[in-house]
Amino acid sequence: MLLKLSLSSLYARLVTVGMTVIAISFSLMLYMSVEKLRTSAYTSFTDTISQTDLIIGARASSVQLMLYSVFRIGNATNNITWESYLDVVNKEEVDWAVPISLGDSHKGFRVMGTNKDFFTRYKYRGGQSINIDKGYLFEDLYDVVLGAGVAEKLGYDIDTPLIVAHGLQSFSEHDDQPFRVSGILEKTGTPVDNTVIVSLAAIEAIHVDWSTGAKIPGQETPIEEIRKMDLTPKNITAALIGVKSKLTIFNLQRWINEYPEEAMTAILPGAALQELWRVVGVVENLLLGISIVVIFTTLIGMTAIMFSSLSERRREMAIWRAMGASPRTVVGLLMLEAIFISVLSILLSVILLFFSLSILQPWIDYNYGILVNVEMLSLRDMYVFMTFIFASILVSLLPAIRAYWFSINDGMTIKI
Amino acid sequence: MKKSIYYSLLMSAMMSVAAAEETRQVDKHEHGVGELNIAVEGSAINLEFMIPGADIVGFEYEAKSDSDIALVNTALSKFQDLENIFTLSSSGNCNLVDAEVEINQGDDHEDEHDHEDEHDHEDEHDHDEHEEEAHNEFVAHYSFTCGNVKEIDRIDFPYFTTFPNSGELEIQFVSEVGSTSFEVEGDKPFIDLKGKI
Repeated sequence: MLLKLSLSSLYARLVTVGMTVIAISFSLMLYMSVEKLRTSAYTSFTDTISQTDLIIGARASSVQLMLYSVFRIGNATNNITWESYLDVVNKEEVDWAVPISLGDSHKGFRVMGTNKDFFTRYKYRGGQSINIDKGYLFEDLYDVVLGAGVAEKLGYDIDTPLIVAHGLQSFSEHDDQPFRVSGILEKTGTPVDNTVIVSLAAIEAIHVDWSTGAKIPGQETPIEEIRKMDLTPKNITAALIGVKSKLTIFNLQRWINEYPEEAMTAILPGAALQELWRVVGVVENLLLGISIVVIFTTLIGMTAIMFSSLSERRREMAIWRAMGASPRTVVGLLMLEAIFISVLSILLSVILLFFSLSILQPWIDYNYGILVNVEMLSLRDMYVFMTFIFASILVSLLPAIRAYWFSINDGMTIKI
Repeated sequence: MKKSIYYSLLMSAMMSVAAAEETRQVDKHEHGVGELNIAVEGSAINLEFMIPGADIVGFEYEAKSDSDIALVNTALSKFQDLENIFTLSSSGNCNLVDAEVEINQGDDHEDEHDHEDEHDHEDEHDHDEHEEEAHNEFVAHYSFTCGNVKEIDRIDFPYFTTFPNSGELEIQFVSEVGSTSFEVEGDKPFIDLKGKI
């Protein structure tokens, strides 16, 4: 009876109540999408590299080494010599190693020199391998393999010729040694998508006539001659390492960090990602904080609307009283109303969230490499909903108490 | 004659500088930050603590007085009884197979110097490291075999109450699932390993 009365009362004020519900559900949706993005960004981020046990590079902070070797953000402080790399590779704990050489670019995309092992050893999203979409991996010295993003943004296809620029933002190009696209990789959602991959020998080859960052004037070794040269790299930027047993990782890490001949750092990729996330985490807490404030504001808004509707509804309440409702019933009715509004808002917000997420998911994945998981609500969301309903009952007490006084004072007639 | 002595002096000075330069690097050492490495593979779990002396006994010079030696020994015996340091969740059903507790003091490699006749680079290096490493460090290794290693979902650290001087623990963790890191402090003295083993 009370339920029906409350529902029809709400129905009678469809527009005001509807707007309140919409406002609340949008703020709840904001909260939930921030939360969803946050957790999805975290998993995508930590999924960037998996099954690599150690990354080695020149002495640097673990976060910095992680950023330049995996995310290709920033630059290496130093390179490490090929001899030191071989010393590490020859340690008995090491199962496999993939060298990486960075420093050149092509139209804003980083060029990475590596060997073919990279394509079998680099894993992401819990062990997924990189697959080749078109063509083949480098066979010739001047073959390049493009990440999906590079190929798409530059409109390149198999056999497109390209020239690698020296450095990251420079006008000097290795134009005497043009490359050719031999393969294009499938989209991975990792920084590999935005990388131009060549062989280590190619990196060495394009720098044959270069000395300390500039081309030696007048010197141009013919390509035929370069092909005959020994193109073993003299140094590399970083290397991905896999160990035979996880139990030996820390010994190997210590050995590398204390390697006397060269200052090197070995990091555990997951540990470094976690460390980096603790820094980024401040920003996401801020976002979360803002959306909680938004929810709070909406709650206040709901109270305000209930208050302002009270004076309009004094006549309605007088009728309730005339029909035998006690002042307590009036309070109950108002609280019931608040519960209805919040439950309705929650339902609407969930529908809105899943609707918008399923539309935006491919777009977010494509542009930001974040795979938002459109799945069931988490337990945490349930807690938030319960808290929200409870909070809305609490704030509705204020207008309800006022209504209680109105109904006691007014009785059946309104004295204004 | 005299000149040649000067030259040889100069030469030897230059050489030792060069030798020292090659290896002049020192491990970081931060009071209040202990390191812990945890590795899990198969049914084995290894824990390896490296804690600066200041966090445990309050000083970092080599213990020479009786009271200091007593302090160090008490601390070492606390490390021996691992209930003082950490507890793995019991559902893992883990048995200790090996424990090694030691303190790396300044004069650890004393005997290495006895057989140094020539000024060879290797020795120079030892010497160098030696002088820099005046800080002592507690090192403890524990190896377990577990009946149900995947059931370990939490490690608690009574370490923080056992050693009130201790600061935070920087933890590197690795298992077949992947690696991660934690920073643990006394106000929340545990790590949650759900889904990480």
